[in-house]
Amino acid sequence: MKFRVAALCLVLVALPSQATERWKFDTKLAVTGDPVSGVYPHLDGAGRKHLAVTSQSVAAIWEDNRSGKPQVYVARKANDRDRFSTAMQVSRGEAYEPAIASLPQNRFVLAWEQDGAIHARILTDSGLGMPVELASMGASHVSLASFGERIFASWREQQNRLWFVKVAALSVTAAGKLGVESIVPVEVAGLETQVLFPSIAVNDAGLCVAWEDRRAGHTRLLVSQSPDQAQSFGEPQHLNEFLSNRNQYDQGNGVTRVSLAPFAQDEILAAWMDKRRGGLGYGIFAALGSDGGAIFGPNEKVHGEAGDRQPHYNPAVSGNPNGDFVVAWDDFRRGDSDIWLSAYNEDDEWSQDFSPAIASGAGEQSHPAIALDDQGRLHLLWMERGDIDAPGRLWYGRAMPR
Amino acid sequence: MLQMSRLTITRLCSVLLCLLTLSSGSVLAAPPEGYNFLPLTAASEQSSANNKPMLLYFGRYGCSTCRKMHAEVFSDAAVNKQYNNEFVLAYVDTESGNRIRLANGETTTEMQFASRSRILGTPTFIYFSAEQKPLFKKAGFQSIEQMNHYGDFVAQGHYRTMSLQDYLASL
Repeated sequence: MKFRVAALCLVLVALPSQATERWKFDTKLAVTGDPVSGVYPHLDGAGRKHLAVTSQSVAAIWEDNRSGKPQVYVARKANDRDRFSTAMQVSRGEAYEPAIASLPQNRFVLAWEQDGAIHARILTDSGLGMPVELASMGASHVSLASFGERIFASWREQQNRLWFVKVAALSVTAAGKLGVESIVPVEVAGLETQVLFPSIAVNDAGLCVAWEDRRAGHTRLLVSQSPDQAQSFGEPQHLNEFLSNRNQYDQGNGVTRVSLAPFAQDEILAAWMDKRRGGLGYGIFAALGSDGGAIFGPNEKVHGEAGDRQPHYNPAVSGNPNGDFVVAWDDFRRGDSDIWLSAYNEDDEWSQDFSPAIASGAGEQSHPAIALDDQGRLHLLWMERGDIDAPGRLWYGRAMPR
Repeated sequence: MLQMSRLTITRLCSVLLCLLTLSSGSVLAAPPEGYNFLPLTAASEQSSANNKPMLLYFGRYGCSTCRKMHAEVFSDAAVNKQYNNEFVLAYVDTESGNRIRLANGETTTEMQFASRSRILGTPTFIYFSAEQKPLFKKAGFQSIEQMNHYGDFVAQGHYRTMSLQDYLASL
């Protein structure tokens, strides 16, 4: 009997660690300095692409108002260093919601909204390249994806009162300048209703864009795939399932802030906030896409049972060519906000939720961005505030796979 | 009755009372037709300047219960008259990227404002006194009768002498 009780205890103790602690965090570094009164960093870009890694370094991009106006900043850290560089100002005017993606040879591409226009530039070991304007007015919510030397940017744009999701194919010239090869709308016909926060991902099989779409009279997530490097796009498909039809007023539950990332050779992970649980607030739901996002599987609930009765916010996703993928988000199930992670377990089911100690505890830890590198190391960027309205700072953490 | 927690009131006070400006490009997503709903900051300023109570409506584009209330409650002539005349009306789209700029220098979106205000469902209504003090929160469908009672409780100043629960019991 004693043996059985001991064995049961061992199982109960062992199960959570097997299910949740897939990574062990060994590094926590400040990206920005101590909180400064009146300075508020934000990580609110489309698709939450605020962190990118190369084989030699990691870079973070964000917006804050240290100059008196919202501006975009970037900081980077070489793998063999234990501190981030001084923040470099990327934007001018008034700027918001940036994105970053990595390129070969330890370079990064950056994009952001500036005074209603979309701008992009390259970051190399030598510093920032000249900015290039991708859209001149009425544009916002830019997101980035890269695959080798190929770079793609998506954003929303309003022209003559009609809304478009647009995608640019970019390249880096021999002189190291960022060039625009093409800009096409995902759908040729503009919409009278808004499109919001498109997210983009690319791999060997193709490129896909997912966004919040209001043409149905409520918000649905649509996704469209391009097999020819953003020269043309397929008919948009529904990403989220419509699980409510309770009465004449009901056209489906709320969905918002979709994030996309490639994984394996040709697959795409999508995750978003989904209100299908009704008055419990948003859950985190996901779908796995194949053939570069041409086909997505059924919706899957990401957060575990422990989070079933709480609202969840700000999902970020990342994957690597080895087939690993992970979702991060924040929620306040323990009173104030903490960062949470989930990934597939050995049974190809979403693991129990895991809150890294470095990104939880007292205060508000929220708005994660993640990058999973080719070695399976998980890089995490997040915002921390003493309380919900206090000045903030940004932290970076790195975890090794167990 | 849904009582507002002290934490929620503190959060709303600290955020609402320091609202300055909302970007001019803001577009209201879907408040009911026939009402003078304003972006939050403009409404907050107007409430303060005119010493009028404010109704803050957290909605969502396509929200089914919001649609039901628009069709069955906000369509009522008495509700329309009371709220248009006696309240300053503010609308926040809980999924929008419209920006709210705070007096302390922070700029955030309506979506982020709703999440930090711990708004779990829509519609959610928060009533403010003429002194900009958050009084109570109501989430989910509210009937014509309920909206009229809440309106009377605030607009006629009963909140100064009794709780909403006591007021409703006295009717």
